[in-house]
Amino acid sequence: MGNIKATTILHAAVIAATGIIFFLPLWWIFVSAFRPEEDIFRYLSPLTIETFLPTRWTFDHFITLFESTFARSIFNSLFVAVATVLGGLAVCTLAAFALSVIEFPGRNLVFTLMIVSFLIPFDAIALPLYQIMRGAELQNSYLGLILPGLGNGLAVFLLRQFFLGLPKELREAAMVDGMGWFQVFWRIYLPLSGPAMISAGLIMFIFQWQAYLWPLLIAPATEYKVAAVSIAQFNSAYGIAFGPIMAGAMCISLIPMAILVFFQPYFSNSVASTGSKE
Amino acid sequence: MSKTKNIFVALAFLAPALLAVACLRIWPALLSVHESLLVPRATTYSFGNYIYIFGDPIFQSSVWTTLFFSIVVNPLQIAAALGLAILLNNKMRGTGFWRTLVLLPVAIPASVSAVVWAAALRPDGLANALLGIFGIGPQPFLTSPAQALACIILVTSWIGVGYWMTILLAGLQDIPKSLYEAARIDGMNRWQQFTNVTLPQLRRPLTFVLVADTVSNFLVFAPVQILTRGGPQRSTNLIMHEIYNRAFAAGDKSSAYAATVVLILLMLTIVALQFRMMSDKGEK
Repeated sequence: MGNIKATTILHAAVIAATGIIFFLPLWWIFVSAFRPEEDIFRYLSPLTIETFLPTRWTFDHFITLFESTFARSIFNSLFVAVATVLGGLAVCTLAAFALSVIEFPGRNLVFTLMIVSFLIPFDAIALPLYQIMRGAELQNSYLGLILPGLGNGLAVFLLRQFFLGLPKELREAAMVDGMGWFQVFWRIYLPLSGPAMISAGLIMFIFQWQAYLWPLLIAPATEYKVAAVSIAQFNSAYGIAFGPIMAGAMCISLIPMAILVFFQPYFSNSVASTGSKE
Repeated sequence: MSKTKNIFVALAFLAPALLAVACLRIWPALLSVHESLLVPRATTYSFGNYIYIFGDPIFQSSVWTTLFFSIVVNPLQIAAALGLAILLNNKMRGTGFWRTLVLLPVAIPASVSAVVWAAALRPDGLANALLGIFGIGPQPFLTSPAQALACIILVTSWIGVGYWMTILLAGLQDIPKSLYEAARIDGMNRWQQFTNVTLPQLRRPLTFVLVADTVSNFLVFAPVQILTRGGPQRSTNLIMHEIYNRAFAAGDKSSAYAATVVLILLMLTIVALQFRMMSDKGEK
């Protein structure tokens, strides 16, 4: 009996240690964001409790940060991510509906083509896409940032799986009542698909929030620069001022972290359903 | 009966997505093929650019670095993810909280992680401070050709492992408890249960993670560009960074397109495999 308790405590201790190791770099960001520049690397050798708890607090880094163009970058990131989620959900739900509810010859072929080409991460085709978008004069525009995120293979896949799970009788009954396809989609399937839409929306939001290579190429101008790009260029803009970098890192991280904590079950379910068996 | 009539309805629903596929995926892919077959100032197609890049020592070394990176990073991340999934697969109170901590780095942009690790991996940074506890002297990390790629592996793993863990954890939770009971009745110890029950039951999620992880690791870019710019001595010059460098720093678009086509073909093969596994699951 005592033995079982000892292994349980050990197990719990290993779990906690693992969680803390993963969280340590994040905690270090938060602590460094609030301490004076000269303190950031001061308490590291030897490692003491002051390393992870600020002794002097300051909000200067955040003030520096938001007096710079960073505020604009955060706005750009938010705007682009939200627009991608709204536009992407429209595109992907319509497609998923056609690929699950409507029966037509060649459906599997279209499904395969669509998913395979959406699943190729667009970073792989960043160079030719850049040339096309530059030709269309979409350089330094919100449209250029948003467009490539609209088609998301994983989102189509998730929504289709969800629609396939709804009973066929729903559609048949509605059509007997004289509804057309679009009404079936709009009045019956859409209202039921809340959870699947949240999962798909989350994937698209996080995807767009993290994008780096594409925004770096298509929108280098300050006016359209997103936060993920702007933080990587701090070094040149500020010399090596780690305070504002840490404050910026914290701002960029808090938004997806809050979303992840709040929507964790949706996120885990959508991630899990792609890889696990039925 | 009205299946054929449905084509037009389906096309209407599919139009925006098909347009997106055509303009944002197929057209760029075809453009790459077209451009890659034209050597600079040429008007007829040839394999000149491909012959050039595969004979170029810098591109060769980038391909080898990428392959070496894949061979090391994929098994490492999958083993770590599996270990974490098994560790965190229990009903103890608070486990959900620790799971979230492991998953958090997934949500943060890779560029942010890279910038922060750049600070942590400085000679006077957090990483050396932690090593100091164990009596290990300061390491050069990113400035050493021998350690820089290992640092990239560390950073990408910190970012991604929680994601793969989530998939494997769901797989673990799908394994019927009765299988373990039967194994115990047969007198299997923990290790035998792991090899005879857990691993075979996890086959599908493990294969999925292997494929998806391989794709994402072929495209690692932000950590390389921000932490090392491919150096020192090209030791971290992974293929995405090499393509970017060719196209935008060296201005050699033709050979960058050839490299892009090589990358797309590689991705297509892996993604087709991934799709087969996903749709197998969908039909059942």
